[in-house]
Amino acid sequence: MLPSGLPNLVADDEELARFLTQNSHFTSSMPKPAAFLPSLKGRETSVSRHGPAPLESLWTIGLQAAGDRSLYGAAIFKARVVRAAQLEVAAAEPPPRHAAIRNWPWMEADPGMQKAAQKEKALVLASEAVLLMR
Amino acid sequence: MPEPVSTTIGICLLSYATAQGVVRRNTAVSSEAQAIRDAVTAVVDWTERSQALFGQKAAAISSLRALANEGGHAGWDTDDACAIDSATVLLAESFIRALPDGIPMPELAPEPGGSISLDWLPDRNRLFSLSIGATDRLAFAWLDGSDKGHGVARFDGHTVPSRVRQGIESIIGHASLRVA
Repeated sequence: MLPSGLPNLVADDEELARFLTQNSHFTSSMPKPAAFLPSLKGRETSVSRHGPAPLESLWTIGLQAAGDRSLYGAAIFKARVVRAAQLEVAAAEPPPRHAAIRNWPWMEADPGMQKAAQKEKALVLASEAVLLMR
Repeated sequence: MPEPVSTTIGICLLSYATAQGVVRRNTAVSSEAQAIRDAVTAVVDWTERSQALFGQKAAAISSLRALANEGGHAGWDTDDACAIDSATVLLAESFIRALPDGIPMPELAPEPGGSISLDWLPDRNRLFSLSIGATDRLAFAWLDGSDKGHGVARFDGHTVPSRVRQGIESIIGHASLRVA
């Protein structure tokens, strides 16, 4: 059991929230694929193990994650979607409820193909995610 | 000092206004006059279509520049994102200018690596995403129902690569072609 009280293993049915801190990372109906691409340093995408309810708690966590950035909303999707895209999601506390999407394709010798392969997976996440605006 | 560009624009606008007058005055009776009127109508239609298209591209380029301004410094995401550099913006601008008629303007988004994502998202089951960075290699991916894939194509700065064009057209429904 983790300090947050959540189990160490992220279950397939768990909902994950990717907080949207760029106003160009979503349309009126869905998050854009760029919102899911991994950071360069950690090669992972930060998410929170939280669904759409309760909303107040979601936005409290989101504001902490956003820091100085604006928080526009969140993309909510199930952990099974991540695994269907042949990515992995693992608990990564602290902070509480934090998890990381890992296993993104990384091909140092071919950055173009690396980006293309990452985009394909980001499209899968974007297509399945529900947009929740703050 | 003369201003040739302004003069040219002035002449074009004057000609266009005159042509519109010809089209609207439906009083000619001879077949020659009819032919002239048809030809002028075609020119007016073409001009109006061009203006509409230019307007869409101008708006997309304006959005691109705003995006580049926001992402013009490293860490724009307050994390480790790379800055969007001027070479990337110029290439993205060339790509938008090169988009053929009939292809809607893309959604734009910054990417952590300093690239710009151009997205066509007609619905959540049909998506096409293209990444433009500082090199001529365009990374792209698509999702069409249960079908998905990715690839890389070279952009010469003038013509949208055929694989990319066909992929976009397939996703937006203008053609049944599939990216190879």
